[in-house]
Amino acid sequence: MENAWLIPLFPLLSFLVLLLFGKRLKEASAYVGILLTLASLVFSVIVLVARLTDATFKAEADWLQIGDLQLTVGFEVNQLNALMLVIVSLVSFLVHTYSKGYMHGDERFPVFYAYLGLFTFAMLGLVLSPNLLQTYIFWELVGVGSFLLIGFYFNKESAKAAAKKAFIMTRIGDVGLLIGMILLFWQTGSFEYDEIFASVHAGEVSGTMITLTSILIFIGAVGKSGQFPLHTWLPDAMEGPTPVSALIHAATMVAAGVYLVATMFPLFAASDTAMSTVAIVGAFTAIFAATIGLTQTDIKRVLAYSTVSQLGYMMLALGAAGYVAGVFHLMTHAFFKALLFLAAGSVIHAVHTQDIEKMGGLWKKLSFTAPLFLIGTLAISGVPLFSGFFSKDEILIAAWANGNYVLFWLAVIAAFFTAFYMFRLFFMVFAGKERSDMKKVHESPFTMTGPMIVLGILAVVSGYVNTPWFGTFLGDWLVDGNEALGHGHIEGPAWIMIVATVVSLAGIYLAYLMYSKKTLARDWFTSRAPTLYSIVVNKYFIDEIYNSTFVYATKAVSLFLRFIELFLVEGLVKSVTGIVKGLGKTGSKLQSGQVQTYSTVAFVGLAVLLIIFALTGGYF
Amino acid sequence: MDLEKLLSFDWGLMAPEFIILIATVLLTLLDLFLPKKVNRRILGWIAFASVLVAIAALGGLLGEQVGSILHDTFRLDSFAKAFKLLLLVGSALVLLLAIDYQPKEGLNEYRGEFYYLFLTGLLGTMIMSSSGDLITLFVGLELLSISSYILAGLRKKNLKSNESAMKYVINGSISTAITLFGMSYLYGITGSTNLKAMAGTLTTLNDPQYIYLLGLSFFMIFVGLSFKLASVPFHMWAPDVYEGAPTPVTAFLSVVSKIAGFVILIRVMVSIYSAIPMEDGTTPMLFGLQDFIGFLAAVTMIVGNLVALRQRNIKRLFAYSSIAHAGYLLVAFTAMSYVMFDSIWFYMLAYVFMNLGAFAIIQLVTTKVGSEDIAHFAGLYRRAPILAVTMAVFILSLAGIPGTAGFIGKLNIFLGALMVSPSHYVLASIMIATSVISYFYYFGIMTQMFFRPRAEEGKLKVPAATTAVLIICAAATILFGVMPQLAFDFLQSNFNQFLDFMG
Repeated sequence: MENAWLIPLFPLLSFLVLLLFGKRLKEASAYVGILLTLASLVFSVIVLVARLTDATFKAEADWLQIGDLQLTVGFEVNQLNALMLVIVSLVSFLVHTYSKGYMHGDERFPVFYAYLGLFTFAMLGLVLSPNLLQTYIFWELVGVGSFLLIGFYFNKESAKAAAKKAFIMTRIGDVGLLIGMILLFWQTGSFEYDEIFASVHAGEVSGTMITLTSILIFIGAVGKSGQFPLHTWLPDAMEGPTPVSALIHAATMVAAGVYLVATMFPLFAASDTAMSTVAIVGAFTAIFAATIGLTQTDIKRVLAYSTVSQLGYMMLALGAAGYVAGVFHLMTHAFFKALLFLAAGSVIHAVHTQDIEKMGGLWKKLSFTAPLFLIGTLAISGVPLFSGFFSKDEILIAAWANGNYVLFWLAVIAAFFTAFYMFRLFFMVFAGKERSDMKKVHESPFTMTGPMIVLGILAVVSGYVNTPWFGTFLGDWLVDGNEALGHGHIEGPAWIMIVATVVSLAGIYLAYLMYSKKTLARDWFTSRAPTLYSIVVNKYFIDEIYNSTFVYATKAVSLFLRFIELFLVEGLVKSVTGIVKGLGKTGSKLQSGQVQTYSTVAFVGLAVLLIIFALTGGYF
Repeated sequence: MDLEKLLSFDWGLMAPEFIILIATVLLTLLDLFLPKKVNRRILGWIAFASVLVAIAALGGLLGEQVGSILHDTFRLDSFAKAFKLLLLVGSALVLLLAIDYQPKEGLNEYRGEFYYLFLTGLLGTMIMSSSGDLITLFVGLELLSISSYILAGLRKKNLKSNESAMKYVINGSISTAITLFGMSYLYGITGSTNLKAMAGTLTTLNDPQYIYLLGLSFFMIFVGLSFKLASVPFHMWAPDVYEGAPTPVTAFLSVVSKIAGFVILIRVMVSIYSAIPMEDGTTPMLFGLQDFIGFLAAVTMIVGNLVALRQRNIKRLFAYSSIAHAGYLLVAFTAMSYVMFDSIWFYMLAYVFMNLGAFAIIQLVTTKVGSEDIAHFAGLYRRAPILAVTMAVFILSLAGIPGTAGFIGKLNIFLGALMVSPSHYVLASIMIATSVISYFYYFGIMTQMFFRPRAEEGKLKVPAATTAVLIICAAATILFGVMPQLAFDFLQSNFNQFLDFMG
C-alpha cells in the first residue's frame, strides 16, 4: 500500500506521452492508454487485497507554509478509497479498451485517449486525497477533464454549449465546496479529514457551523453528482462520446459527489439538519429525474436521467445514515450503469441514431449487446438476484429504519418508475419489428463487446458481496474500526424486499404491456409464453386504464416538473447571467473613449469617497 | 554636502540602479552613433544583458543588512529587494518580447529609442521601490510615467498608438496632480518629506482637525496612485491605452508598471498612515479606513470582471482582466494580515509569469494578422498545438484553477482575508464570486482555441526569444503551482518576514 501513489501516475504518464507523441502514434495510442490503465488496475487490486487485512495507510509531506499554517500533501488508503480505486481504474480500463473500437477512424483519436488519461489521473488522485484541499484541487481537475471530453466533438454547437454548461454548473457547486472547506479550515485549523473529524467529535465546532459547513460541502456534491437543482448539465453532457458518458457520467465523476459525502460522513452525521437535507434532496432527485426519464426519447438522455435518479438514491441512503447502503449502491451502479452506457454506445454504433423511436427489433441483430443490455436493465430495475436488487434493498431498509417513511415511499415509487422506463427503453430498442431502414446493422467488434461482458458479469455478481442471505462482507469491512459510520448492516422488515420486488416487476410488466405487446409479432410471443399471453388479453382493459389515468397523470406530473426545470431553475440561471451581462454592458457603454469621462469618473470617485469619509467621520 | 561626505556613502547599495543607468546612457550613445544600417535589435540584447547583470547585483545584495544612503532618501530594505527582484525579472521577460516584436507598419527607425526609454522606466520603478522620501518617490514615479507616455506612442504612424499616448498623458498628469496635492498636505502638517521623520511626527498627533486633513490626503494619494494600479476609480484609461500601445509596452504597463504602483502604494500607506492614530487614539488610520479600500477593491474586481465579458479585442480583454487582478491584490492590501507582504509578493510573482506568458502568445498571434480580435485565436490548437496548450496553462492560472501558481496566489490572499479578525468574509466572497465570473471570458478564449475551426492558415513561427519567454513562464507557472513552498522558502530565508520595513 506504500506504493498506492503510483496508481494515478500511470494515466498521467499516458496523458503526457499521448500529448507529446500522439500524432505519431495515431491509433496505436490506444495501446498506450490501455496498458497504463491496466497497470493502474493491477495496482489498485493489489492495494484492495492488502487493505482487506491490513490497517489504513497514510503518508504525508509538507507542501506549503503560510505564516503558521502548515499545509500537507499525501495519500491515504482506507476501505472506502481502496474500493473506489478499483472501481475507477476498472471502469477506466474497460472504457479505454472499448473506445478502441468505438472511436476507430476518428481524426482526433490520440487526443481522445490523452484526455481520458488526464481524467483518470484526476479521478484517481481525488480518491487518494487525505485532505480537503488536495481533494478540491483534483476535484477541479476532474472538472477540466470532463469539460474537454464533453466538448470533444467541438464541431457540434450543442457539444460546445454542453461542455461549457457542465463546467459552469458544477463550478457553482464548487464554490459551495470551497467556502465550506475554508470555513472548516477556519474552525478547525486543518484541511485533514482525520483532524476535522477529531475536532468535530471533541465538540470544538459549534452545531450551527457543522450544519452550515456540511450543507456547503453538500452543495459541491450536488453540482458534481447532478442533484436537483444543479442537475441540468448532466443530460446535456450526453453530447460527449458515449464511452465518456460511461466513464464520467455513470461510474466516476458523478459518483465523486456521493464519494465526497461518504468521505465527510462523520461531519454530516454530527448534524441532523444536514443529514435530512441530504436525504430529502436525494429522494426528491430520485423521483424527479425518474419521472422525466419516462418521457425522453433519446437513448442516452434516458440513461442520463436514470443516472441522476440513481445518484439521488445514493444521497438518500447517506442522508438516512445508511453509509454502507450508499457506498454499496455506488459500486453496483458503477458497474451496471457503465454497462448500460457501453451497450447503448454499441447500439448507436450499429444504427447511427440515438432516437429510440427510430429503433426496434434489434434483439436478433445484436446478439451480444442485447442480452448484456438486458442484464444491465434487470440490474438497475432491481430484479432479484441481480446486483441492483441487493443495493437498492439496502437503501430502502436504511430509509425505513431511519424513520423517513415519506422518503421511503418516494423511493419505492421511484423504483417502480425506474423499472418502467428502463424496460420501456429496452423494449423500444430491442423488441418489435425490424426496421427496414436498418438493414446493415452489425454487431460491434470484440474490443467493444469484451468490456461489456466483464461489466455484465459484475452487474450480476457484484451484489453478492453484501446480501442478507450470504453475509454482509462489504458492509462489515467498510465500517470496521470506525463506529461513526454506523453499522455494517441495518436490519429491516422482510416485507421491504418483497415490496421492492413486486414494484420492480410491476414496472417491467407495465412497460411490457405498453411498449412490447402492441408491436411484437403475436406468434413469437404465443409460442413461447402462452399463459402470459392469455393474461394479457384478459387484462386488456387495465392496460387502457393505465393508459388513460395513471400514465396520463404521471405525464402531467412529469410535464409539471419539466416546467419547473425550464422556468424556475433555468430562469434563475438566466436571470443571474442576465444581470451579469447587463452590468457588463453598462460598464462598457461608459467606456466611451472620451478622456473627459475617464477623469470625471476618477474625480467623482474621489469626491464620493471624501464626502462619505467626511460624513461618517462626523466632520459635518 | 562636500565631496568627502558624498564618497562616504555606501554606493554599493545602488549597484543595480547604476547598472541600469549606465546601460541607458550607453544605449543612447550607441543609437546615436551607430550607422543606420545596423539592426537595432542588438541594443535590445544589450538592455537584456544589463537587466541580467542588475539581477545578479541585486542577488549579491540579498544578504546585506538594511541600509540607507543620501540622508535616508534611498533605502534598501527587504521590501525593496524583494519587489525589485520582481520588477527586474518582469522587465527581462518584457525585453525578450520586445526584441521579437515586428509590427506590420515597422518600428525599425526608432526601435533603439524603445530600449533606452524602457530602461529609464525600469529605473524609475526601482527608485520608487527603494525610496524613503516623498521627493525621491515622486521622481521615480515621474521617471516611470514620462518614459511610459512616450513608449505608448512609439508607433508614430499608427493612429491608435497616438491616441493611446495622448490619453495616457492627460490622465497621467491628472493623477499626478491629485497625488501631489495629497502629498502637500502631509508636508504641510509635518514639515518634512522624509517618510520616517513624518511617521515620527504623526504618531504624537492628537488634534482631530489634523486627522481630518490627513484623511483627505489619504484619499487623494490613494486615488492618485490607483492610476498606476489601474484600479477603480482611476481605471478607465487602461483599456484604451493598452489597446493602442505596442504589445510589449502593454505587457510592461500591465505587469511592471502595475507592480511599481503597488510598491509605492504600500510604501507610502504603510509607512505613514499606519502611524497616525484615529480619533479613538489607538486604531491606526490605515486600519480605520480599511472599509473604504475594501469597497474600492470590491468595485475594482466587479468592474474588471464584468466589463471583460463584453470585450472582443484581446488586448482590451486583458486590460480588464488586469484591472480585476489589481482588485484581488487590493483585497490583500485591505486585509493587512501578517502575511500581507508574502501573499502580495507571491501573487505578483505568479502574475509576472502568467500574464507575460499570455502576452507573449498574444503578441505572436496578433502581429501576424495585424488585428487583435479574439476570433484570431480560433483553432489555435489545430495550428500550433503546443502554443495552445501553453496558452491554456496561462489562462488556467489567471483564472485561478488549482495546479497553477495563480491558484496558490488567490488562496493566499483569500486565507489572509479570513485570517484577520474581524475577518473580511464579504470581500472574500466577492473575490470568489468575481473569479467565477472571470471563468466565462477566460474560457471563452479556451473555447476559441480548442473548439473552433482554425481561423488562419499557415504555421506560426515562434522566434527564439519568445520561445524562451514561453518556456520560462509556463515552467514557473506550473512549478510555483505545484511546489509553492520554493517561493515561500526563498522569501523566508532572505527577507525575514519584511521585519525591517519600519525599522
